[in-house]
Amino acid sequence: MTEMPTTAAPIADAPSLLTRILTNRSLRDSTLLVVLAVIWLFFSFATKGTFLTQRNLILLALQTSIVALAAISAVMLIVTRNFDLSVGSAVALVGVVVALLTVKFGVDPIVAVLISLGVGLAMGAWQGWWVTKMGVSSFIVTLAGMLYFRGISMIATNGATVAPLPQALKQIATGFMPPLLSIGLALTCFALFAALRIMELRRGAALGVVQRLNAEIMRALLPALVATVAVVWLASWQGVPYLVVLVALCAIAADILMRRTRFGAQLYAIGGNPEAARLSGIKVGRVIFINFLIAGLAYGITGVALTARVSGAIAGSAGLFLELDAIAAAIIGGTALAGGRGRIFGALVGALLMGSLNNGMSLMNVPTFYQDTARGAVLLLAVAIDQLSRRRTSRR
Amino acid sequence: MTGPVSALPMHETTPAAVAPLLTVRALTKTFPAVVAVDQVDLTIAPGEIVALLGQNGAGQSTLIQVLSGVHPAGTWSGEIEMAGTPFRPASVADAEAGGVAFLAQEVNVAPDLTVAQSLGLNAEPTRFGLIDRPLLLARARQALADFGLDLDPLKEIGDLDLATQQLVLIVRALSKHARLLILDEPTAALTDREAERLFDRMRALKQRGVAIIFVSHRLAEVFEISDRIVVMRDGRISGTFQTAETSRDAVVAEMVGSRVAHGKSARQARIGAPALSAHGLTVASADSSRPLASGVDLAVAEGEILGLFGLLGSGVVETAMALFGGWPGAVSGEIRLRGQPITLADPSQAVAAGIGLIAQDRRDGLSGEHSIYDNAILANLPALPPSLGFIDAMAARRQVTQLFDRLRIKAADIDTLVGTLSGGNQQKVQVARWLAAGVRVLLLIDPTRGVDVGARAEINRIWVELADAGCAIILVSSDAEELVEICDRAIVLRNGRVADQLDKSGLSEARLLRLAAGV
Repeated sequence: MTEMPTTAAPIADAPSLLTRILTNRSLRDSTLLVVLAVIWLFFSFATKGTFLTQRNLILLALQTSIVALAAISAVMLIVTRNFDLSVGSAVALVGVVVALLTVKFGVDPIVAVLISLGVGLAMGAWQGWWVTKMGVSSFIVTLAGMLYFRGISMIATNGATVAPLPQALKQIATGFMPPLLSIGLALTCFALFAALRIMELRRGAALGVVQRLNAEIMRALLPALVATVAVVWLASWQGVPYLVVLVALCAIAADILMRRTRFGAQLYAIGGNPEAARLSGIKVGRVIFINFLIAGLAYGITGVALTARVSGAIAGSAGLFLELDAIAAAIIGGTALAGGRGRIFGALVGALLMGSLNNGMSLMNVPTFYQDTARGAVLLLAVAIDQLSRRRTSRR
Repeated sequence: MTGPVSALPMHETTPAAVAPLLTVRALTKTFPAVVAVDQVDLTIAPGEIVALLGQNGAGQSTLIQVLSGVHPAGTWSGEIEMAGTPFRPASVADAEAGGVAFLAQEVNVAPDLTVAQSLGLNAEPTRFGLIDRPLLLARARQALADFGLDLDPLKEIGDLDLATQQLVLIVRALSKHARLLILDEPTAALTDREAERLFDRMRALKQRGVAIIFVSHRLAEVFEISDRIVVMRDGRISGTFQTAETSRDAVVAEMVGSRVAHGKSARQARIGAPALSAHGLTVASADSSRPLASGVDLAVAEGEILGLFGLLGSGVVETAMALFGGWPGAVSGEIRLRGQPITLADPSQAVAAGIGLIAQDRRDGLSGEHSIYDNAILANLPALPPSLGFIDAMAARRQVTQLFDRLRIKAADIDTLVGTLSGGNQQKVQVARWLAAGVRVLLLIDPTRGVDVGARAEINRIWVELADAGCAIILVSSDAEELVEICDRAIVLRNGRVADQLDKSGLSEARLLRLAAGV
């Protein structure tokens, strides 16, 4: 209303090609994929093809998995304008719990994992309670959590490494699902997705809300088909790591939760405008509390996975800076810091992009300092893109 | 009461004896949808107190916002002169430097500042480049004492109640040593005694030659303090009165205008069973326990449109929010839905019971970054067809598409972002949301504010259609014309209490305004 249309007009009328590309939503999603492809091609040349081998890509997927798990819950929280700075410490604490239970007390691995998930849930509930019932900002609550979760981990282990884990637990992070089973699972997932999507779109056509049915079906299935082919190719080498299967299943579940359920719609609504959500009858506090419970579950899963991957709990360094990597992955993947916008798969691509930088530069023997610098630059670039598109969309 | 230059006629050259302080010529300010101020000429002499009156949206707020630099030079056309020199403020600070102090309608304070810091904000005395705190404090003491306000200048302003915060802001505006003081609804949050103190100070400033423009809806105080009354209607100055020579009736008649009252709709409401009622509803402010509305009784039936009218600070908005369970302060009294007592502690309870609310500020009700579809399904989330928590996207899309067509929302499709829509179409998205949720009672708070005239008529038709379909509607509006046009009955609140109730035959703009102003 009080904006000055006269001064804003020249910018709004003649957006640069770059701006237009950046602000088109579907294009923006693929922009990220294009960037990833460029980076991959670069590393492929720079490493004389080593980067794009099945072996290295599986390794890359494994290296990315922990950040990807944490990024899933980061997206869900950021979408409602909440932050979780405690992820790294919470994950370390869960790791300490599962390691102590199995190594010191000889608890059965399955029971230990279940208890660890429970501990994660309890941490999520605790932080959610502070945020929703006490009205403390999530930034503060989780900043505090970052400190004392790490502190408790150190106290419980006296700073010592708890290892080695029983074989059954390590298997989670190091085992491979056999090639045939992996391919079967990928194809089943694709078939299930295709069937559900086609059924839904046909129903939409019958209800008159989907016009060009065949085109829509193609549009929905093509990316999934490409992804499936890629997975089949990767799996044909020696199967898919269980850890990567776990990440995929978590991501699919979270994506369905966010985009296909009432709960997910409420998350986006709250992030878009908390007051509007409240006035629409959404119980904002309850939804956010559940949001933190899910984050707690993610601590459990990530904590067990990380501990299994390094085969022990190292209270001092496990998961260090994981929260920042997770937030960075979410932001690179198009999640808006201001809330209301963000997708799980975007964050996965974001995590993959950062992982690729690490992996590729390591293959090229680039020193770690340079790696950190490059990752920082990528993050800043991603946020700049985000800002640019926001400025454009809010000018409308 | 009459000022030294009270015989000043409008639109004519001023007597040579007293040079005018402020001269406005052909001032025009437009917003995307409306011409808010249209070719206004105005002259004010030093030491003159001018009351600016008009119905909501008549343009008086925009006019003073231009004068006080809220709308920077370049966004309006016309000429303004202060004491003979061109006056084109680029900002509020610029206007202040030019001798114009402005008190905004909303009470905006930085809660963590002390009273002294608030008073000296952006004009802090310095010594050696650092803030001279003793002098700041001394000045604050002096300013508070001048006004007769017994207040510790070291208190944090956030700890004060709203009325006292407003008084502090008034003291701040008064202490600017301005030549022209502009006050927008300064008494809305004040008690009668506090208002009296303000008037005393205004008279003292007048003696020193300071000119004052103030916007008010309270006729009693307008007649008490002003030399001249300027009435605006539809962006233009429609009449100017010497206060001593006119009557309240004449002023109200000028505000309402000579237009044939927009025919009350010939619609015969088919009044059904009682829908929502409140008995002895008392609504307290959230920060103190001061009652904003007390002992309000009201009832609306199915098929009926009940108007709720009141000036700023009368408690109408708070009452409506309380009926939706959305008011943050304490609420007492009995609320019944279809005869059954109901607890409304949270909007979710109201929505579950079939009560919807369209908020005063569209930004409170919509998420601009999300699509029409996303916004429209919000209130309906608990009721989407299949269970297990999954959204039947296709069924929901069909429902939204049907509402999109029915409400004639002007947009490419239901995936258009709400932020890109015009005000009227945004409002229709809120309507779609409640229609999708199948509400039986709809509370509307100034639903056509900032909506252009064409869309306004269309939106008002929607309310009538809804009522005809058996929906009970409570329309809170500060636009008397709109209420007269579509309401079957109206309740007028004044200072938080029911002043009177008007049935359709007795409903007129003039009566609503008189009741609300207590004339």
